[in-house]
Amino acid sequence: MKKLERRDYRGPVGVFAAYLALQAGTGAVLLAAKVGLTPEAIARYYRGSEETFAAPKSLTGLLEVAVPHLLAIPLVLFAAAHLAVLVRPGRGPKALGALGFAAAAVAIGAGFAVRYLGPGFAWLKLAGSLGLLATLATWVGLLVAGWRRA
Amino acid sequence: MRFLLDGPPTGRGTRPLVLGFLGFCLLFLAGFAAQRAAQGGLTAAGVAEHYLGPAEFPEPIAPLALWEEAHVNAFFYGFLLLLLGSVAVAGRVAPRPRAALLAFAFAATLADLAAPFAIVWAGLPAAARVATLFASQLSLLALVAAAALGYGRRAVR
Repeated sequence: MKKLERRDYRGPVGVFAAYLALQAGTGAVLLAAKVGLTPEAIARYYRGSEETFAAPKSLTGLLEVAVPHLLAIPLVLFAAAHLAVLVRPGRGPKALGALGFAAAAVAIGAGFAVRYLGPGFAWLKLAGSLGLLATLATWVGLLVAGWRRA
Repeated sequence: MRFLLDGPPTGRGTRPLVLGFLGFCLLFLAGFAAQRAAQGGLTAAGVAEHYLGPAEFPEPIAPLALWEEAHVNAFFYGFLLLLLGSVAVAGRVAPRPRAALLAFAFAATLADLAAPFAIVWAGLPAAARVATLFASQLSLLALVAAAALGYGRRAVR
């Protein structure tokens, strides 16, 4: 029987890369439309606003968003990194993996910091979220480029 | 992941493990379909009411809810297709049927993600979402079946 080769897996990996791009794309839209892309908008979203009669986020509401993401984001990053490293080992993917996990931790944690510690952490939330989106986009590129040559 | 990509050490020995995973995929698909059915997803009228509001007082669903649904389902579909597709490869499902099944599942699940946007923003008939639910479920069930039939029977290296 023919031995399995890496290229036999190009189909499933390609489909995963396409859905990874969709997850990142829809995540970007949600960040922009729901939370906002400026520190002021982010602070308003988490801490509420008297002008718009928006209530501050409750701990339950914050956890409802954070807890599923604490599993889903590392799982996505782990799978993407693993698939990329299999066809392109080296320092680049490892550094990108570390950057992705760090950005995800900041993006998730900074929401709580903005709500309970101060609006100044909104910059951190923005940096973490944009960093995570950039990391995901890079993983998609690495997966497509790496597995095309596999 | 390496288990799938490098192949199992002994195909037959790992068959119960893979069948257990595929069993949970079936449970997930059943639960997913039940959830959609509970939202009226099995009839065009139910889908229309969910996304466009009741006929007497039409009020389309908020755009954010559409994006949130797509965001969550893209996660589910992405992982299901990666894992089921990989098990089908490791299970030595013949390349052409495997590629056809994966392409069908990709197209059907993508259509299922896009249909709500098309219904709310472009006036696509609500029946389309019923069709995409059936097509995506059917295609994923076919992948589960192909993987279950192939894995461990022909995967001995």
